[in-house]
Amino acid sequence: MKFSTWRRLALKGALACVAAAAVSASCLVSADEAVLRVSAIPDEAPTELQRKFAPLGKYLAAQTGMKVVFTPVSDYAAVVEALATKKIDLAWLGGFTFVQAKVRTKGTAIPIVQREEDARFTSKFITADPGIKSLADLKGKTFAFGAPSSTSGSLMPRFFLQQAGLDPEKDFKRIAYSGAHDATAAFVAAGKAEAGVLNASVWDKLVETGKVDTDKLHVFATTPPYFDYNWTVRGDLDPVLVRKLTDAFLKLDPAKPEDMEILKLQRAGRFIPTRKENYEGIEKAARSAGLLK
Amino acid sequence: MLLNPSARDPAARSRLIAALTVPVVLWPLFRAAEVEPGALFDPDNLKVIGHFLAAFLPPESGAEFLGYLARATLETLAIATAGMVLAFLLAVPLAYLATGAGREQPTLNPLTRSLLTVLRGIPELVWALLFVRVFGLGPAAGVLALGLTYGGMLAKVYAEILESVDAAPARVLRHNGAGRPLAMLYGLLPLASKELASYTVYRWECAIRASVVMGFVGAGGLGQLMDQAMKMLNGGEAATILLTFMLLVFSADGLSGWLRRSLDRPPANRPSPFGGRSAFFGLALLAGAVASFKYRDIDLASLWRLEAVNSIGTFVADFFPPDLSADWLDKVARGVWETLAISVVGTLLAAVAGMLLALPRRWMPFTVLLNTLRSVPELVWATMTVLAVGLGPFAGALALALHTAGVLGRLYAEALANAPPAAGCALRLAGAPGSPAFCYGTLPGAAPQLVAYTLYRWEMNIRMAAILGFVGAGGLGQLLYVELSLFHQARASTVIVAMLLLSIAVDQASAWLRRKMH
Repeated sequence: MKFSTWRRLALKGALACVAAAAVSASCLVSADEAVLRVSAIPDEAPTELQRKFAPLGKYLAAQTGMKVVFTPVSDYAAVVEALATKKIDLAWLGGFTFVQAKVRTKGTAIPIVQREEDARFTSKFITADPGIKSLADLKGKTFAFGAPSSTSGSLMPRFFLQQAGLDPEKDFKRIAYSGAHDATAAFVAAGKAEAGVLNASVWDKLVETGKVDTDKLHVFATTPPYFDYNWTVRGDLDPVLVRKLTDAFLKLDPAKPEDMEILKLQRAGRFIPTRKENYEGIEKAARSAGLLK
Repeated sequence: MLLNPSARDPAARSRLIAALTVPVVLWPLFRAAEVEPGALFDPDNLKVIGHFLAAFLPPESGAEFLGYLARATLETLAIATAGMVLAFLLAVPLAYLATGAGREQPTLNPLTRSLLTVLRGIPELVWALLFVRVFGLGPAAGVLALGLTYGGMLAKVYAEILESVDAAPARVLRHNGAGRPLAMLYGLLPLASKELASYTVYRWECAIRASVVMGFVGAGGLGQLMDQAMKMLNGGEAATILLTFMLLVFSADGLSGWLRRSLDRPPANRPSPFGGRSAFFGLALLAGAVASFKYRDIDLASLWRLEAVNSIGTFVADFFPPDLSADWLDKVARGVWETLAISVVGTLLAAVAGMLLALPRRWMPFTVLLNTLRSVPELVWATMTVLAVGLGPFAGALALALHTAGVLGRLYAEALANAPPAAGCALRLAGAPGSPAFCYGTLPGAAPQLVAYTLYRWEMNIRMAAILGFVGAGGLGQLLYVELSLFHQARASTVIVAMLLLSIAVDQASAWLRRKMH
């Protein structure tokens, strides 16, 4: 009797020890290493994003002396949420995802730089149907946007459609969200959607690299220019580091061949400073299109 | 010449009523699902799907891609295994609380049971989508999502298994003063262990399929690769991923079949039935579970840091109260109706196809066809059917039908094989040709089983139908995806509540129908 009580006690004690060890071990893992955590909205295939980021990541590591870790994601909103919950330090955001991040972080997220091209960004409406010549011809067709929270693949086209008197929910036969700009082109080329819209920069890249057949697909409308993409840091990042990062981007010089390679992959002429106020237009458009409340 | 009233069919009236009500109920559902068989043969659509399928050959085999593929495959296995471990840890205490087994007085445990219903009622994909937001980036979201839904399912089934075995040994133990845990441990578990183990292994196999699907919302693994390949309409890559995936499912199927067969063998005639093989198996299981958590560091402990708890809190708080404005409810109601239509039409089409495939099942090509249909998840079928018939609910119904036909075909074949043979034999001996002997002899005997299987699948399909919209195949899924992307949490929460209510309603309807049929 006695023996068994002792044995039971010993067993219970051992179990408690194991549990305590497991809990304490898991709490001790978070040692602070100097790591810069970076992500990007997946406006193109994540593998493509990783390829594009590799040289830039190396460059940023050299400039800041930190280890740079890039995490690819397949969901726009996950990047915004990760920035708001401080799981990443630096993110490549679109105009609208920046506005979302600003709202989610109560105005603390800071856009640091953008590409020269982002100050005058446009979207292209494309179709394979020769019968579609203007936005008005889209009535009753199936239509592909990019991701729902994409600026150039959803928000701004929606806003300009609205100004042209078209309500996507009512006037299109069906809406698809392809999720990414290159996927939109693939949707329309394959006939999965009769028309679609994507950002001008990705469209140009697809045309240059021969990934789309321009005999079949054609651009039938282009939006007026607006502010788009930027690199954003979370608000409570060390200001010295923010300065270092900003300078690193601004220092990239198209005249230097090694910098040129980085800029070419980012499809940037060069980087220029940006500020929150540049994105007020986007915020207004988002409110009027009902995407932001 | 039915002049003699006693020779009239005694069930004539109820059959007539059924024959009249069924079309009245089904017609609007078929309309809502936009069933257009013609779309399958539309030349434009044929060209689209034809091009895509033609690109399947040759499958992509570049070294870089195969590297990605290998890593994704390991990740899928790790997510499924880690998710099952979590589900098991969750299911054991919940089943203990929920089950009526080993209790002196029968109780219903409304609290635990409703918790189980909520866990099961929200599809794992929706959990995954939410967790991807909170914990971000990577496989932890998938593991948690699997853990919760499968935890709910395991707990429910464990509870039922424990209730279904002979209660006498446990009762005797309790009457002799043993507490409930001991009575269950020594009185019920030995009787139920085989069935419990077998069901757990079967669920692990399902978890592999499910973890692939969760990749579609960014929870890592093969699904994420598949999603990209499908979106880019890259046939070669899609073909390689599909082949890998089917290989994975078949081997999991084989492994779980082997395990279940070894459980069926009587234990060796030794003082202790546990020998070297059991020890090896236990160690392998433990190693697999640890390796799964270590792989790509699925760090569940980080969930309990204060920061994480806070962010979960604010995230969840945003969902309350749900948006109940009239025009949003109207939109959700239309989504609910479309989802219901997709599930009903999909299940019916599957029942017809499954029956046709079950009849000649003993021939080799049919078994392969059934297994192929079954091994590809609904969501993956949907990415293909939207190419074949265009975006919309009909694509969703077809996708459900394709996968479910594979499942039902196999179950139907088993039910027909197990049906009482006497009636069919008698008819055949009396000179009836094959098909009437089957229709009037074998079929009525198997019918209750066939109907029950079909209704069970309908309960599963309503959960799937709710998420097919993620790939443009109609229903509530697209609404949820868009609203979550835009951080309209209140609206998203209305959609999630609607999904939950819909799945509960279908469960109830199906249970009612099953009772009616008996």
